[in-house]
Amino acid sequence: MTSLLQSENLSFSYGDRPILRGVALRLAPGEVVALLGPNGSGKSTLLRCLLGHLPASGTIIWEQRSLADWRRRDLARRVAYLAQSPAWEPEQRVSDVLRMGRSPYLQAFGIESPRDVEVVGQVARALGLADFFDRRMHALSGGQRQLVFLGRCLVQEPRALLLDEPNTFLDLRHQVDLGHRLKDLAKRQGIAVLMASHDLNLAGMFADRLLLLEVGTIAADGPPEEVLRPELLSRVYGLPMERIERTDGKVYVFPTVNGDAAS
Amino acid sequence: MLQSPDKLDYAAKRGQSVNRWSAARLLVTIAAGALLWATVAAACLCIGSNGEVGWPADPNVRAFRKEVVLLASLVGASLGAAGVVYQAILRNPLADPYLLGVSSGASLMAYVWRFPFVATMGGSMLAAMSGAMSQQAFAFAGALAAIALVLLLGSRRGRLEPVTVLLVGVIVNAINGSIFLLLNARFPEVTAGAGGAFAFLVGGIQTSLLPVQEKIAALIAGVGWLVLLYLSGQLNVAMLSEGEAQALGTRIQRVRWAGLVVASIVTAAAVAISGPIGFIGLICPHLARMMFGADQRRLLPWSTAFGAALLAAADAVSRLLAGQRFVSTLLPVGVLTALLGAPFFLQLLWQRGRGAEES
Repeated sequence: MTSLLQSENLSFSYGDRPILRGVALRLAPGEVVALLGPNGSGKSTLLRCLLGHLPASGTIIWEQRSLADWRRRDLARRVAYLAQSPAWEPEQRVSDVLRMGRSPYLQAFGIESPRDVEVVGQVARALGLADFFDRRMHALSGGQRQLVFLGRCLVQEPRALLLDEPNTFLDLRHQVDLGHRLKDLAKRQGIAVLMASHDLNLAGMFADRLLLLEVGTIAADGPPEEVLRPELLSRVYGLPMERIERTDGKVYVFPTVNGDAAS
Repeated sequence: MLQSPDKLDYAAKRGQSVNRWSAARLLVTIAAGALLWATVAAACLCIGSNGEVGWPADPNVRAFRKEVVLLASLVGASLGAAGVVYQAILRNPLADPYLLGVSSGASLMAYVWRFPFVATMGGSMLAAMSGAMSQQAFAFAGALAAIALVLLLGSRRGRLEPVTVLLVGVIVNAINGSIFLLLNARFPEVTAGAGGAFAFLVGGIQTSLLPVQEKIAALIAGVGWLVLLYLSGQLNVAMLSEGEAQALGTRIQRVRWAGLVVASIVTAAAVAISGPIGFIGLICPHLARMMFGADQRRLLPWSTAFGAALLAAADAVSRLLAGQRFVSTLLPVGVLTALLGAPFFLQLLWQRGRGAEES
């Protein structure tokens, strides 16, 4: 399958402090990939480099075209990004936030085409946000708000979705709900999802592939059962880990809390 | 009572679609704002500073009042528009068009112009023009110099960060103010013939301007306003974090530079002919936001109209008060913009707070 995103030997430093070192990764259409790793391992930085927000060395190729050759507006029609804590104003209504997703399509003076309005309506209906259209952002729960931001990404009609810890402000039910939605988007619309996450098991449940970052390098890249190995995770997270396997092959990992090592 | 199926269907669809921001909608919004302003402006024409209230019969009086109302509207519109852009780009609801040094730079240079040697120098340089022209030109140049200094010191490798720019703006304002007060303490005679230092710190609508000065200010503000309107679609995104704005296809640094520079030039044109008039640039964007929502594309035309109407009205009230001998002289219009605008603003704020509790 042709890659939507291909990156080789990607490196980035803040001053003389290297954050990413020779990272290689691919992303295919319809694939859900979770980006794992401890705090400071470079997950957010990697996402921002792939979007061109930070100047990395190495190659980054979106749809057979080098990142440097993309106009920002054109890239925004292919790739959407959900920041870790998206900015919002209390005065904004749900419709205001959703419409912002059409920014890469707007004409001069911010004029919208009929297509712009149509897409906003479609996405709102698909996410069950249509009834909230006139609600102000401050009147929504954290879960609803996150759904609105996901909606803004989808309004961009992207082929890839880059999410930076989208579960941060969500309770368990909403985390699982988001996982289902992302998987559904990938399977039905062929959208590629690359998502930084701290939740190993949730990532294992919904991702086709896990990418484990260890101080700026890729420590493992493969299906969940390959990457969620106690010895590997113990090394990367510096914590003794255990694993249980279900009969259907799904694996779950958790830190050892009652052993000597954890006390 | 049973609703007809059509109505039910309509109710189900309501809230599922947005009103498209089309060119027609933009023009209708501008026209509605213009109508609001024109109504207020027409009423303002009926108020004279001599105690006369009513449509002026004398064509000379009419022309004079028209000039005053139009000037107040021009200044108010400029401040209302610039306020929207400043608040969006600086991502700060307390931002106003004076925050980046424009008014303090203008006041300082308008004052410096009064030093005899400067006036002579300016006079010889601008021999073809009158002295008044060079004072406004000095103020305009001072405003531009201050904003250039703020953007120069506030940017790092060509990049503007809202918080840094804000802090540098506050500092440059403080320095300008201090230099002014220092010079004024050392040379009190300079402002003696010009109404004292107070006259340089509180603006008002002047009637001593030349037609060419008014036309230049209107041209600068008008062209600048069109540029800001052109940018208005990107101002929504400018309120997000830099990464989010970029991911939405916006060249955010370019928008920040263009928006701040053009809004500052528009403000400078206004300040050069009126001096600093507070409150309009702060409050009109909020008035528009509370009435018409957070979309910057709609805010800009409405805040412009509110600014024009509010300042014209405040100036008319100041004429009314002087005409009725309530005060001995024309009050600085800035005093009245706050007195007129603040209660309205507070009422909206209160209503909105109640609405938020209910929802």
